[in-house]
Amino acid sequence: MRSLAALPAAADVAELLWLGDERAGDPALTGGKAANLSRSAAVHDVPPGFVLTVPGATLPRELRRALSAAYRRLGELVGTDAPPVAVRSSAVDEDGLQASFAGQHDTFLNVSGAEAVWWAVARCFASFGAQRALDYRRDRGLAEAPERVAVLVQWLVPADASGVVFSADPVSGDRDEVVINASWGLGESIVGGTVTPDSWRVAHDGLVIRGRVVADKRRMTIAAPGGTREVPVPGRMSRLPALDDAQVRRAAALAVALERRMGRPVDLELAWAGDDLFLLQCRPITTLHHDRSPR
Amino acid sequence: MTLTQAAPLAPDFPVDLQDVDAQHFWQQDRMHFPGQVLPLDGELMASAPGRGMTHAFRVYEAPIEAMRVRIEHGYVYNAMVGVQASPAELEELGRRSEEAVMGALGRLGERWDTEWLPAIRRHLQVMGALDLPRASGAALAAHLDEVVARYDRLWQLHMIAVLPSYLAMSEFEDFYRDVVGGQALDAYRLLQGIPSKTTEVAADLWRLSRVALGSAEVTSVLSTAASGDVPALLERSPEGRAFRVRLDEHLRRYGHRSATWGLGSPSFIEDPAPVIKVLADYVGQPDAADPAEDLARLAADREQAVADARERLRPYPAAVRAQFDALLAAAQAGAVISEDHNFWIDFYATDLVRQVVLELGRRCADARTLSHPHDVLYLTLDELRAAAPAPAAADLRAVVVRRRADLQAYAAVPAPPVLGTPPAGPPPDSPFTRLTAKFWGTSPQAPTEPGVLRGAGGSRGALTGPARVVRALADTERLRPGEILVAETTAPPWTPLFAIAAAVVTDTGGILSHSAVVAREYAIPAVVGTGLATATIRDGDLLEVDGDTGIVRIVG
Repeated sequence: MRSLAALPAAADVAELLWLGDERAGDPALTGGKAANLSRSAAVHDVPPGFVLTVPGATLPRELRRALSAAYRRLGELVGTDAPPVAVRSSAVDEDGLQASFAGQHDTFLNVSGAEAVWWAVARCFASFGAQRALDYRRDRGLAEAPERVAVLVQWLVPADASGVVFSADPVSGDRDEVVINASWGLGESIVGGTVTPDSWRVAHDGLVIRGRVVADKRRMTIAAPGGTREVPVPGRMSRLPALDDAQVRRAAALAVALERRMGRPVDLELAWAGDDLFLLQCRPITTLHHDRSPR
Repeated sequence: MTLTQAAPLAPDFPVDLQDVDAQHFWQQDRMHFPGQVLPLDGELMASAPGRGMTHAFRVYEAPIEAMRVRIEHGYVYNAMVGVQASPAELEELGRRSEEAVMGALGRLGERWDTEWLPAIRRHLQVMGALDLPRASGAALAAHLDEVVARYDRLWQLHMIAVLPSYLAMSEFEDFYRDVVGGQALDAYRLLQGIPSKTTEVAADLWRLSRVALGSAEVTSVLSTAASGDVPALLERSPEGRAFRVRLDEHLRRYGHRSATWGLGSPSFIEDPAPVIKVLADYVGQPDAADPAEDLARLAADREQAVADARERLRPYPAAVRAQFDALLAAAQAGAVISEDHNFWIDFYATDLVRQVVLELGRRCADARTLSHPHDVLYLTLDELRAAAPAPAAADLRAVVVRRRADLQAYAAVPAPPVLGTPPAGPPPDSPFTRLTAKFWGTSPQAPTEPGVLRGAGGSRGALTGPARVVRALADTERLRPGEILVAETTAPPWTPLFAIAAAVVTDTGGILSHSAVVAREYAIPAVVGTGLATATIRDGDLLEVDGDTGIVRIVG
């Protein structure tokens, strides 16, 4: 995917950059989260998407036409007319190594249609003025207004199962095992902690599955008109593993590859849809308290 | 371990429960046998299902050792005998068994078509092959052994096929409710309107009614004569005789059925009056009343419900959608098997046994060792085996008189619903226990206000109408259109009554009982398992029946 935006690439103009585009991998332009994702796209499939990056925190109306064109192109890429997308903010200094900025700005899931996507993007920009985000920035000694705001518009993968993968054990600090947590449906029930996911431990060495706990997964998130919805898991499926062994090993291999590339332990959010595995997010583990690795 | 009290015995219903039998929990099977059964039925029709179920438990590795059957003063009791194991072992057994039986769900329809039904038909073919009146005593004795052995084998096949069939429907209901929500009955819309042996019989009879309408003579006989007189009257004219050939062809194919379960009930080949009654009803109906139209309507409604459910499941994980499709296919196959097995085993096979037994009865009656051919049903299987090669050898009349008197002494005594030792607590939740509750029904709720009966909703809809209490298919001449059929239970051959009744209320059964299944096929409200309907409701009582809530009110 290449940038479709016919906008100059100067530092002080608004741009639309596709994930996988070299410039989208620049955190100074697209923010840490989107930049990581864009660079990861070279290693593994990420759901197709693009980033609107704008100096200051005000969305120029002229971007609307470029956004509509990009959204149409996204539909062609995934094979549907009005693809459902997730719209998320990505501040330029966010997701740096010093602080995780997850969840501080609005996220809109399952948005369909160019009109609705523009509205969601506008809301994301507006949220940078929201008090909680400002408080967060102040607490961490960041400038009160970000120099550049980026909004990521990305296909919402119709996930059969979703998971969070750690290339090192985030609790014990063990660096030789990948920890995989996964459950049915979209990732919100895992990330939001409303479901106890299945978990696997996979050795870096030879990708041997060393441990497996199948949990009683009572809830799952599915797409619903205008967003997502948490629903009960059918009784007879709650104790079935959400992933098979091949899926587990493939995810572990990806975590090891991304750790190698980033040069340090990472956590990933993944989505499985049919035979495809998508990387939704990749970032350094910021909470590896007992890091036993030699420095 | 919890000590439990043995159920108190009724003083006028002495029961000799010894040793281990006293530790089992025996429940009366009023759903299949509302009244007393004769001794031979007790050994065959009432007990073979227990032996078949025990076999199926083994095939599916169920954590149940056996289904035991005992007959007390003619009343049929069943007990499930659990495996002796620790709770942890039981849980492991339960898990393995669930896997074994769930494994059978994937190929249910295929196994019925290619494996079970062909085997059933081979057994029936052998069982019906002997020319009974011409057979020698030795040949008849050998055939009796053959027939009895195959009858047991058929009941094994019955349970091997039926257990996963009902389980599929039960699991589908639970799954549907988990993902789509709504009431339990909503799930069964997706299982309705599928052609089965029952709809095949109705379609053939309907065709016959259109043939009858082509002849003024035949139409007149069918619309004016009493059902029992029709065969003789048809013989009086060439058109009538030609029609009789068609009718006999129908009976030859579909007449190995009878009004109720058991060896004592004549088949429709022996007494075609119930078939002729339905035929006469059909003759009075316009072409538009073709039961195929009803079936098509139910099928269209089913396909709509399936499409709605699939649309609702679109955002669900592929594994959930795949489970839905697999369970739907298994439950739809199960719905057909749950109906068709009755035709082939409960009725066809039982009738073939009856014909052999009756032939022996006739020979004994001819030899004056029995007073009447039907008295053969008062004998035990061993006595029958002894009499078969030499019907004149032993006088059996005194035995029959004594056994008849024994049964008559208890004919009017209310049999206790349970015997033995009640379980210490409710059984653990499993697909088997959920299915059991849906088939047999849960214990009826005690009435809290006068004139209100509570059961399980069996088929949707609510209406008010006059009651007609029916205890035997012979009573059904009295059932008028618009009346509410009130019965202890309804055997499969009662199915045509569902076309006449406005609603159904039963004493026994749950959402998967035959009465509930058929009521849904006829789209009439049903409340099942009220426990007390036939004891409380009188002919002509005005009833409010609500099939959604499972409540029946006697309003006048």
